[in-house]
Amino acid sequence: MKHALRIAIGFGVALCASLAAAHHPVTAKFDETKRLDLRGIVTNVDWRNPHVHVFVNVTRDAGVIENWAVELESTVLLKRSGWQHDTLKPGDAIEVSGPAARDGSRQVWGERVLASATERQVYNLTDTGPEAPQAPRPTPRGSDGKPLLGVVDGSGGYWAYPSSTVLQQAGANVAMNADGVLARISDAARVAPFQPWALGLYQHRQQRHLADDPGFLNCKNPGAVRQFQSPYGVQFVEDHARQRMFVLVGSGNRNYRIIYMDGRSPTGQVQGDDDNPLYYGRAVAHWEGDTFVVETTGFNEDFWFTNGGLPHTDQLSLVERFTRPTFDTLRYEVTITDPGAYTQPWSSGWELKWVGGEDLPVYFCQDNRS
Amino acid sequence: MISSFRVETNRMTKRLLAAAAAAFLAFGLLGTTAAQEGHPLKGSWLGEWAGNSVHGDNILLILDWDGKAITGMINPGTDNMPLTKASLEPNGWLVRLEAEGKDKDGSAVRYVIEGKLENLELPNRSINGTWSSNKGRGAFTASRQ
Repeated sequence: MKHALRIAIGFGVALCASLAAAHHPVTAKFDETKRLDLRGIVTNVDWRNPHVHVFVNVTRDAGVIENWAVELESTVLLKRSGWQHDTLKPGDAIEVSGPAARDGSRQVWGERVLASATERQVYNLTDTGPEAPQAPRPTPRGSDGKPLLGVVDGSGGYWAYPSSTVLQQAGANVAMNADGVLARISDAARVAPFQPWALGLYQHRQQRHLADDPGFLNCKNPGAVRQFQSPYGVQFVEDHARQRMFVLVGSGNRNYRIIYMDGRSPTGQVQGDDDNPLYYGRAVAHWEGDTFVVETTGFNEDFWFTNGGLPHTDQLSLVERFTRPTFDTLRYEVTITDPGAYTQPWSSGWELKWVGGEDLPVYFCQDNRS
Repeated sequence: MISSFRVETNRMTKRLLAAAAAAFLAFGLLGTTAAQEGHPLKGSWLGEWAGNSVHGDNILLILDWDGKAITGMINPGTDNMPLTKASLEPNGWLVRLEAEGKDKDGSAVRYVIEGKLENLELPNRSINGTWSSNKGRGAFTASRQ
């Protein structure tokens, strides 16, 4: 009997831990219409990706003590704003306000965390990325005169802080949050030229607050445009000898995308893999003046190609245009063609900032998973 | 008193182990369903059209989406009945499939499957509804594999 109970309890604990640790858009787990204010004593700080948790003992009116989990952003984002694992310590008194968990569990999103002793707000995100120099630095160029999209002279650096983390057709100006959750679901049809089924699926995902995002639930790769929407950045590494550009992806599970520049066809690789659609597709590129033009096809349908839950099919193809107008700015423009999901090609674009002197932060989606 | 307590604990033990096994099995099955975030009907579907005396109770359905039309086949390899018409209405996620096959005597059997797509967000989503033909009718259920 005890053995059986141990099995059952162990299974239950593992399941709960898995659910609690899952990465997600904030609104998928927390309900912004249900606000909570808590005061309590810190019992533990679980400083891990994808979400840091501060555990707090809260004393209720009858003297009953409840342990609550205060969920925060990733260690990477908190560190960028100057916070450390020991900014709060067990025994510290804190005040927390934020949206409560949708499932009614004792969890709250730490929108505002105040250290009671100092009345100082902690674990908030203040970092907006490096400021570009007042006098723009010129575009770095290689010996062939082409702009360098990656590092210069062996120094570190990567692209991050995208000016937009969501995708919608140019000029739509639909209000949505940074995860792509629409302010008004009635605006859904304006986001992109959806086919009816794709609009229905997009609305369904929105109604579920993006809780089904396989990029978060299953750590599926941020293929297509999504790698350029991540706060964890991308790094370009050009292999001149082999005529390839590698895009090292800071999010997901730190994998990479290969862009072939040797004039091959966009379909099929060396051994041919037309029957094996990929998360990052098959990409070929060429230069048009100072613009690096990448054409990608051969995507699988196992992931969300953008934040916000816009559907795609294996007919998706992208034309991405990268320019580096100054040393510190990368302009990303993309045209999306997917006759399986959209009625016509559509375009969007944004900019990323150069983070000099550093390599991609260490972030694994699968950290903190049971 | 003691023996009845033992009987009860044995029952509880069995129930707990059965529940744990069922849960592990369910998670295992979920894990084997291929992810499919594109058109919700695309994929292989396995299920039952209950009371089908012509083609049996079990049905295997292969569905595809080419950007304009849903195509597919019922029981490929055995009955090989191509879909003659198929639609998905996103408003309510209503599915309608039509196919034509033959019975043992070579007479035409025209099928209509009407159902609702449920658990849209899951890889192993399901279609639940009814089937009918000129030879009979009954309940229909299939889940994506």
